[in-house]
Amino acid sequence: MSQKVENPLIADMYARLIGRPYARFLEESVFIRQYLWINRRLVGVGLVALVIVDILEVLPPLYLKNAVDVAVEKKPPVLLLYFAGAYLLTALVQAICRYGWRMYLIRASMLSGRDLRNRLSRHLFGLGASFFDRSRIGNLMSLTTSDVEAVRMEIGPGVLVLADALFYFLTVPVAMFMLSPKLALIAFLPLPFIPWIVIRNEREINKRYEKVQESVANISAVVQEGLAGVRVIKAFGKEDEQVALLRSKGNELMKFSMHLARVQTSFGPTLDFAMSTGMMVLIFVGGYDLIRGSTGVAGAVTLGTFVAFQRYVQKMVWPMAAIGMALTFYQRAVASSDRLKKVLAERSDILEPNPDSKRPSTKMRGKIEFRNLRFRFPGASSSGAKDALSGISLVIQPGERIAFIGGIGSGKSALLSLLPRLYPVERGMLFIDDIDINDWPIAELRRNVGYVSQDVFLFGETVAENVIFGLHDWAAGQSSRRALEEATALASVHEDVMGLEGAYDTRLGERGVNLSGGQKQRITIARALIMQPAVLVLDDALSAVDVHTEENILSGLRSRANRNTEVISAHRISTVRDADKIVVLEHGQVRQMGSHDELIQNQRGAYRKFYQEQRCKEELEGYAEHIGVPQ
Amino acid sequence: MSTTPGLEHYLDVEEKDSRRADPRTLRKLIPYIARHRLILMLGLLVMGLGVFATLMEPRIFGWAVDLAIIPKDEEMLKKLGLGYLLVVIIRILSAISQAYCFELLGQRIAQDLRCEIYEHLLRAPVATFDKNPVGRLMTRVTNDITSLGEMFSAGFVSMVGNAILVVGILIWLIVLDLKLGLLSLAVFPVLAAITAHFSGKLKIAYREARSRLSALNAFIAENILGIRVVHLFNRQKLHQERFERINQWYSDAQISTVRVFALFQPAITLASGTAIALIIWYGGGRSHEGVLPIGLLIAYFTYVLTLFQPLREMADKWNIFLSGMASAERIFSILSWLLEPGARMQNPVGNSQKSGAPFRGDIEFEHVWFAYSGEHWVLRDLSLKVQAGERLGIVGHTGGGKTTLISLLLRFYEPQRGRILLDGIDIQEYPLTDLRSKFGVIQQDGYLFSGNLKENIGNDLQDLLKTMGMSIEALGLPEELRERASNISTGQKQVLAFARALAAKPQIWILDEATANMDSATERLLQQGLSTATVNRTVLLVAHRLSTIRSADRIAVLNKGILCEQGNHAELLRMNGLYARLYRYQAAKEAQESHIV
Repeated sequence: MSQKVENPLIADMYARLIGRPYARFLEESVFIRQYLWINRRLVGVGLVALVIVDILEVLPPLYLKNAVDVAVEKKPPVLLLYFAGAYLLTALVQAICRYGWRMYLIRASMLSGRDLRNRLSRHLFGLGASFFDRSRIGNLMSLTTSDVEAVRMEIGPGVLVLADALFYFLTVPVAMFMLSPKLALIAFLPLPFIPWIVIRNEREINKRYEKVQESVANISAVVQEGLAGVRVIKAFGKEDEQVALLRSKGNELMKFSMHLARVQTSFGPTLDFAMSTGMMVLIFVGGYDLIRGSTGVAGAVTLGTFVAFQRYVQKMVWPMAAIGMALTFYQRAVASSDRLKKVLAERSDILEPNPDSKRPSTKMRGKIEFRNLRFRFPGASSSGAKDALSGISLVIQPGERIAFIGGIGSGKSALLSLLPRLYPVERGMLFIDDIDINDWPIAELRRNVGYVSQDVFLFGETVAENVIFGLHDWAAGQSSRRALEEATALASVHEDVMGLEGAYDTRLGERGVNLSGGQKQRITIARALIMQPAVLVLDDALSAVDVHTEENILSGLRSRANRNTEVISAHRISTVRDADKIVVLEHGQVRQMGSHDELIQNQRGAYRKFYQEQRCKEELEGYAEHIGVPQ
Repeated sequence: MSTTPGLEHYLDVEEKDSRRADPRTLRKLIPYIARHRLILMLGLLVMGLGVFATLMEPRIFGWAVDLAIIPKDEEMLKKLGLGYLLVVIIRILSAISQAYCFELLGQRIAQDLRCEIYEHLLRAPVATFDKNPVGRLMTRVTNDITSLGEMFSAGFVSMVGNAILVVGILIWLIVLDLKLGLLSLAVFPVLAAITAHFSGKLKIAYREARSRLSALNAFIAENILGIRVVHLFNRQKLHQERFERINQWYSDAQISTVRVFALFQPAITLASGTAIALIIWYGGGRSHEGVLPIGLLIAYFTYVLTLFQPLREMADKWNIFLSGMASAERIFSILSWLLEPGARMQNPVGNSQKSGAPFRGDIEFEHVWFAYSGEHWVLRDLSLKVQAGERLGIVGHTGGGKTTLISLLLRFYEPQRGRILLDGIDIQEYPLTDLRSKFGVIQQDGYLFSGNLKENIGNDLQDLLKTMGMSIEALGLPEELRERASNISTGQKQVLAFARALAAKPQIWILDEATANMDSATERLLQQGLSTATVNRTVLLVAHRLSTIRSADRIAVLNKGILCEQGNHAELLRMNGLYARLYRYQAAKEAQESHIV
C-alpha cells in the first residue's frame, strides 16, 4: 500500500485549474448532460456519422494533390479517372453521413427540447397560486420558449459544432504534418492567435449585445405605455413628444447596434485574415521551396502538396470559427439552464395530505369551521408584512348561506380563496366536515368546493366546453345536455347563450365571440354549479351582473334541489342581505356578525353605515332605470 | 403535413395570412431605401470590390504556380505574394465595411419606419384601439420592425452579395477557359434546381413550425393566465396531456425542417463532388496534355468549391428575407389605416375666424347623435349650449353618456349626426392638436407615464403644486414613476393628473370624476387650486357626488343619452325631477353619515 504524497501546492493548482472548473462545469451542464444521456443512441449515431465526415474531409485535397501531380509529372492519365471516381465516392459517403448526423444529432436536440418543455409544463401545472402571483407571465413564457430553445441549441448545434471543430483539429493538421511538417508549421503560425481573437470577441460581443437587448426593452416599454395611454396623449396633444421620445430611444438602439456591429462584423473577417496570412506565407515559403528544390522527388514538396495545403488551410477557417460558436451556444445554454433550474426547484406550497392521516370517509357535507385562523400571503416579506387575516373564528353549518362584506383590502377574497386551498393554511385553523383542510386530498377538496373568483377567466373554447370544464367524464348525450342547461339556467345565462349565433358551440375569446362582462361572469358561475359542489363559493362573482339578474340567481340557488353551503362575498348589500349570516370584515378581522336584521339595528355599526350608502346608490340607480325615456 | 384536430384554433390568424408574399410590398419599400441611397450605394460599391477580390484570390494563386513556380521566377513569386496580400486585405476590408454599411442601412430604415408607424398609430382614431389589443399593435412597432431591419442588414446583403458572387464566378469560369468552364457549369442547373426545390420546401416547413410555435405559445399564455381555474377544476393532468400533444405537434414540424435541411446539404455536397470530379478528369487530362496551365486547373478547383458556399448561404438567408417581407406587409397594412380626421391638418381656423380674436370658450352641441356601433345610441339628439366662462355640471347615472359627451368634444369619436361648435366654429375645422390643446382634461383614471416625475408633468411641478398649497415633499412623491405609476397611490395620481393639466394652461377645463379617490383634505386643496385656475374659464364638471356640482352655474342631467333637465341647482330642485330625487338621496345620506360619525 503506497501512501500518496500530497503536495499542497500541486493540490491547490489542481483544484484551481481542474477541480473547481470541472465541478462548475458539472453544475452548469446538468440539463445538457441529462438530455444527451437520455438520447444517447441518437447522439451516438450522429457523432459517429460526424466523425466519418470529418475523417473523409482529409481525402479530397489529397485527390487534388495527386491529380495535379499526375498532370505535372505526366503519370498515366487513367489515374485521373481513378481520382475523379474516388473524389465522387468520398463525396457520396460524406453526403450520406451528413444526412445522418443531421437526422440523428439535431433530431435528438429537438426531442430533448420537447421533453424539457413537457417537464417544465408539468412542473408549472403543479405549482401553487402564490408562485404565479409573484411571477411575471412574460418571464414564464420566455422560460418555456427561448430558455428551452437555448438548452436545445447546445444539445444539438452546440455539441455538433464543438465535436466538429475537435475532429477537424484531430484530422486535418495530422494530414498536413504527414505531407510536410515544415509547411504545416508555417501554415499554423497564426493559429495560436485565433482562440485569443475568438474569446476576446465573444466577451465583447456579449457585453454589447446586452446593451442592445436593454435598448430593445426600453423601446418596448415606450411603445407599450404610449399605446396603452393613447387617449391621454391625444388629449394633451403630446403625439409629437411621444414620437420624439421613441425616436431618441430608437437612436440609442441604433447607436448600440452599430457599436455591436463594429465588433461582430469584423469578427469573421479577422479570423479569415489570420488564416489568409497563413496562406500567403504558404505561397512564399512553399513557392521558394518549389522553385529551389526539385519537384517530383518523393518526400519533398511537390506542386500537388502545395495545392493540397491550400485546400487544408482553407478548411481550417471553419473549426476556428466553430470554437467561437460553441462557446456562444454554451454560454447561452448555461444562462438559460440557471433560470430553468430555479423554476424547477420551486416546490408547491400546497401539498397532498399524508397518506396515513385521517381521511374523509363520506361525501362532503359542507360544514366549515375557522378556528382562530391567521393567514399571510406566501412570499409577502416575512418581516413587517401584515397578516391578511387574523383571529377568524366561525362555524358554517351545512346548507347555510353566509356572506362576507367589507371594503377593499378587508380580506374577503383572501378568506374565500382558502376554501379551495389556493393558498396554504396552517394546520388546526380551517376544518371542513371537521377534518383539517390539509387532510383533504386536494382533488377531492376542489371537486367539492365550487369556487368562483372575482376575476373572470374563460378559455378560448366553446361555451359548452367552458361550462363542462370540471366534468372530466363528460359524454355528449341527452342527460348531459340537460345538466348543462340546468347549470346555465341557474346562472341565468342560458338565454344569453341561446341568443348567440352558434349557441353552446360558440367559440369564445380573442378569436371568437367576446361576451359582456356580466355574461362571462355568469358562465363562470355555471361552470362551478354543474359540478354540484357541496360548498359554493362566490367571491364577488356577481359584481358585473345587474341587480335584477342577481336576484334571480340568488333565489334560484336557494330553491335548487339538494342545495348546499354557500359562501358569498360582495360589495353590494343586495347580494348579501338574504344570507343566514353576514360577516363584516375589516383589516382582516371580523368586525360584526349576524343576520341583516340584527346588524341593521346597530346604529353605530359598520354594516349600517355601509347599508345606508348602498341604499342611496341603489335606489338612485333603480330610479334612473325607471325613468321613461322620451323619444 | 398532418394537423392535429382541435389545435388549429391556437394558430395565429396573422401567421396564416402571411403565407403569401406580395411584390407590391417590395415596391412600397423603395422610397424608404431611396432615402438612404448613399449608404446603399457605398455598400454595393464595397461589395463589388469584395467580389472582385474574392475572384482574384484563386487566380493569383494559380498565377503563382504558372508564372513563378514552374518558370522558377523568384521575383515574380514575391510580386504575386504581395499581390495576394493586397487582394486579401481588400476582401477583408470590404467584408467588414459592407456588413457595417448594410447593418446601418437596416437600422436606419427600421428607425424611420418605427417612428412612422408609431406616429401613425398615435394619430389613428381612438376606435382603432377599441378594436385592436395593445399587444398586437405593439408587435408591429417592435418585432416586425426588427425583422424588417434584419431583412436589410442580414437578408439583403447576403442575397445580393452572394448572387453577385455566384454570377461573377460563373462568368469568370467561362472567360478563363470556355470548355472547362462549361463543363464545370454542367452541374449548376442541377444545383440551382436543387436549391430552388429545397428552399421552397424549407419555406413551407419553417412556416409550419413557426405557426405551431405560436400555437404553443398561445396555449402556454392562456394556461398561465387561467392557472387557478385549471387547479380549481383539477384539470392539471388533462391540460398537461394537451400541452404534450401541441408540443409533439410542434416538435414534428421542427423535425421536418431538419429533414429538409438534412437532404439539402448532402445534395450540395454531391453536386460539388461531381463538378470537381469532372474537373479532375477533364481538366487534369488537358493539363496532362499541356493544353491547360496547371495553375489555372488549381484555380478552377477553388472556384468551383467556393461556388457552393454562397448558394448555401442564399438558401439560409431566404428565410430572413421572407419573414422580413411578411413583417413589411403587416407594417404597411397599418400605415394604410386612416388617420383621425384632421390629424395632419395644418392651416389654423384663421380662414373662417377673425384673426387675432381671442379664444372665448363657447361650446355648443347641435342635435348630436352618437353610437359606438350600429344603432345603439349613446347620445340622442343632444343639444346643449355652454357660455364662455360658465361652469356646467353634468350628472347622470353610469352609461348615461357623460363621458361620451367629453370624448366627442375632444374628437376621440365623430358624432353620426349633428355637430359641435367651439366659439361658433365646427370643431372639425380646427386642427386636432389645436383643438385638444384648448382643453384640460382630468379623468378618474388619469394615465401617467413612467419616468422622471418632472419630465412627466413639467419642470415647474413644485410651483404648480404650490399654487394648490401642496409640495412634492408633503405629498411624498417619488422622483421616478414606475410603469402604470404603480409606486404611487390613486390619490397621488389624481393630484399629478391635475398638475399636468394645470401645466398645459388650458382654456376649457374638463373634470371627469376627478376627485373620486381623494381624501377630503386633499380634495379641498385641489378645489381651491382649481377655482383660481378656472377664473373666467369654461368648466365642465362630471361627478357622481352632487355636492361637488351644486355650485355650478348650470347643471345638465343626462339619462340614457338624453338631456332630460337643465338649470341651476335651485331651479332643478324646483322642477322636482330626476335631479331633485338624486339630490335628496345624497343629502339624506350625507346627513346620515355626519349623524353617525
